[in-house]
Amino acid sequence: MTSLKWSCVELVAHLLERGEREAALGDLAEARESVWNALLGIVGLGVRRQVLLWKSWRPWLAGFGIAVPSSFLLMGVSVSVSWSYQRLLCPELLKAASLTSSSGLLVLLWQALLLIGWAWSGGFVVGSTSRRTLGVSALLCYAPCLFCLSRFRVESMSRLCLLLFLAPAIWGVRQGLRIARLNPWLAFALAFAVTVLMIPLWSVAHGSWKVSQMNLSWALSLPAWYLAMTSLKPAQVTARN
Amino acid sequence: MITAAAALGDEAYGAAIRQQLEETTGHKCSIGALYTTIERLENKGLLKTWMGEATPQRGGRAKRMVRVTPKGVLAAKNFYDAVIRVSRGASWVPRTGSAG
Repeated sequence: MTSLKWSCVELVAHLLERGEREAALGDLAEARESVWNALLGIVGLGVRRQVLLWKSWRPWLAGFGIAVPSSFLLMGVSVSVSWSYQRLLCPELLKAASLTSSSGLLVLLWQALLLIGWAWSGGFVVGSTSRRTLGVSALLCYAPCLFCLSRFRVESMSRLCLLLFLAPAIWGVRQGLRIARLNPWLAFALAFAVTVLMIPLWSVAHGSWKVSQMNLSWALSLPAWYLAMTSLKPAQVTARN
Repeated sequence: MITAAAALGDEAYGAAIRQQLEETTGHKCSIGALYTTIERLENKGLLKTWMGEATPQRGGRAKRMVRVTPKGVLAAKNFYDAVIRVSRGASWVPRTGSAG
């Protein structure tokens, strides 16, 4: 078991959960399987585990329903927050937007709160609905980020402005992994707060832009409402996977 | 799987069940097929598993012990009865001496 080849098998076995890894590696050692057969066995078990996980709707919701679209949309919101911050530091820009320092600060706080609420609730849903496919969900979140980072060209802004949403999203994922389900009062308070914060967003937009703003903001608020609805269900329904 | 685990009794764990299955059926049984089946049967309440002790010949790694639940025994018995019923009269079933 100490050879380099067995170390490779043990490394690949990290695809499996701890208890299963112990049992499978022990069984292979006891059966005196060759390194190649052991490797095939472990990879086969890992693949079967992943396939079984993806038979459920939860990883699809977490990965393709939330991680990919929310990353794109939240990068846009992150840029808006960064822009509001820049405007606050530049009196000419504030004047051009017909804002005072205090109203500019208020706009920045409002956008930042909305970003935190959307990103946190999205992260929480990803963490709580499919914890065993979290790696895939993370990859599906980072792919749009890398795509946008490579194409972002605004001289006055750092590319890292796109990633402001990551901190509250990761916080949400960690909370989702820990507690799986929110208290109903807290979940509904979050959903209502996010919805109320969205209203000024619609009032400043006009025409077709207003419709798309409404659709995008509702799309980003869906995780918060999902959390509110699932908080009413029995614990065993939400604690799987 | 249930029959192999039941036959092994208190000694039923992954490697032992795998060996029993391979010896009985003459076919190779992969670790992947073994553990995914064990988990499926456990989710149905037909098996119960827990982590057992580690032994030197396993490289100091723990065994995943398996026990057939009463529900598993009943399911295995029902399945066996069904196989006997549907096989009645089939050419490969040895005929028992008929009365009269």
